[in-house]
Amino acid sequence: MTHRKGKEGAFLFLAPALLILAGITLYPLLHVFRLSLHRRLLIFDISRFVGPENYLYLLGDTRFRNALGNTIYFTVLSVLLELLFGLAIALLLNRHFRGKGLMRTIILIPWAIPTVVSARMWEWLYNPDFGLLNHLLGFRINWLGSPFLALNAAVAMDVWKTTPFVALLLTAGLQTIPRDLYGAARIDGAGPWTLFRKITLPLLMPVILVVLLFRTLDAFRVFDAVYVLTGGGPANSTETLSIYAYKILFQTLQFGYGSAISVMVFLCVGLFTLLFIPLLRRRKV
Amino acid sequence: MKGKGLFTSGLFLFFCLLSLPVPGCTGKSAPPDEGVTLVFKHGKIAGDPLPFRQVLQRFEAQNPGIRIQDESLPSSTDEQHQFYVINLEGGTTGFDVFAMDVIWVPEFIRAGWLLDLSRLLSKSEREEFFPGPMKAVTFRDRIYAVPWYIDAGVLYYRKDLLAKYKFSPPATWPELVRIARTVARKEPGLYGYLWQGKQYEGLICDVLEVLWSNGGNVLKDGRVVINSPENIEALTFMRGLITQEGVTPDFVTTATEEPTRHLFGGGRALFMRNWPYAWNLFQREGSKVKGKVGVAPLPAFPGHASASTLGGWQLGINRFSRHPEAAARFIRYMTSPETQKLLSLTIGYKPTRKALYKDPELVASQPFTAALY
Repeated sequence: MTHRKGKEGAFLFLAPALLILAGITLYPLLHVFRLSLHRRLLIFDISRFVGPENYLYLLGDTRFRNALGNTIYFTVLSVLLELLFGLAIALLLNRHFRGKGLMRTIILIPWAIPTVVSARMWEWLYNPDFGLLNHLLGFRINWLGSPFLALNAAVAMDVWKTTPFVALLLTAGLQTIPRDLYGAARIDGAGPWTLFRKITLPLLMPVILVVLLFRTLDAFRVFDAVYVLTGGGPANSTETLSIYAYKILFQTLQFGYGSAISVMVFLCVGLFTLLFIPLLRRRKV
Repeated sequence: MKGKGLFTSGLFLFFCLLSLPVPGCTGKSAPPDEGVTLVFKHGKIAGDPLPFRQVLQRFEAQNPGIRIQDESLPSSTDEQHQFYVINLEGGTTGFDVFAMDVIWVPEFIRAGWLLDLSRLLSKSEREEFFPGPMKAVTFRDRIYAVPWYIDAGVLYYRKDLLAKYKFSPPATWPELVRIARTVARKEPGLYGYLWQGKQYEGLICDVLEVLWSNGGNVLKDGRVVINSPENIEALTFMRGLITQEGVTPDFVTTATEEPTRHLFGGGRALFMRNWPYAWNLFQREGSKVKGKVGVAPLPAFPGHASASTLGGWQLGINRFSRHPEAAARFIRYMTSPETQKLLSLTIGYKPTRKALYKDPELVASQPFTAALY
């Protein structure tokens, strides 16, 4: 009985936190879902229930498909590059050398700069007329003005900015691997590649998965970096789902359709999480 | 120059902090108990903020008990729009008077965010304003905002270079291309014609001007006619400026107003499409193109009339404001002929009252004011 009472007490103590969570995450979520079933245009003072109409329109919307494609391209490429560079930096930082502490601090700088500031900075770097990048290269490339280059330029900026975060988490993961494992393997005659493949990688996997989960979710919802850099242009070539949703919601004030796009982003992100969680669980056992 | 401005304003702020109780520093002193503080939101003032501040102080001197808290938003109109939409949808009381772009007014009226200001302007006084902005603030015969200043796309050109090569300002697009090509060939490093091509609201203005100047339009009798032959011809020409003629550098597809203004102001371009605000900045002390700039209406296609998007800003009152009376007095002051003239002379905000375009003092200091009219 005392046990039971303890449990009730626990729920009582949790209630305020749960209420706040419900208030700030669940309520807005349900509200957005409700909005997405309405046709709501502030400009024309229209607001009526239309059921799944917004979602049906979404299926045939080429601009939505374009934004989805851009988002997937951006996510896959940037997360992949960040993981590769992050892992390389983490492995380097895990060795002993003079000035290691200083290096660690320096590497974190891009991550410490606010996104909007770094996007503005890169906008200037990319400027074809007086940008540093073209000055160093010696020829004029219209980085943000050409549909093909612009999205890749945005990926490059994101990689520059977020690789330190990945490197930091992976460094932490590397430090948990016991040193004696390497010693033992070396006695058995294992080379550096074997050490990496058979010891480092498997033991680092849980951290890598966490990093992948974090980064995929973040990259998929990317907004500020790309929005400040290009505004989604030229010709929607850098328009991600979040930017599309933002434009529909806050620039054209179509609250219903914009909410439907937001719900789709939420569903995609939720799907990723569901895919990742079993992987994370399996590793823990 | 910008850095210096930042430094001086930082210094100013520093002294404000030092001399907090001194009444001369209106920035941060507490309002008197019976007084009213109006929050005035508007886009960033282009150029010198001091004359603008003086205009507000004049109002405070004339209306004891009302204090104006001047708060500016980023110069990007898209961002301003977003700020207002989010705050007004939430029923904010955080600002009383605010400046709206010409296209937002009908939208905000329908959303029920603006106070009815019909009593501020009699029927006859409404006639004194330009009809375009007046129409924009009118809804079912009632007015919900007062036109404050107007904006229109104009062509800036380098007077000195045109004179050097014996050209006059172009009236048609092919002429502009011909002049730009001739001059750019002889002046290395000089761009021909700059405009705003980044994917944002400004590009829409630029495109509409080119479409209209070929007799094209977006809507005709309620039908969408955006793919008409005139529009296709005009757009092909606009794209050709970059790809065929080489008159416009390809980076305009990332340019907003300010980057083009900086390039032109640095003497790097022959022609530029921009808004009137740039004029006063070019004429400032220390400007590389001071006295070398001319302004003309935008060119048109042969056989068609020049066209310009009508921008411009209107002052309205937030429906949730706690001080509608004081706010109305402030709007009357800001849109009065005297204030409009003062703002035009100091920071180049073009008046919305027609009579001011015949004002000799204004015409003398802003030569193209008359041309706009």
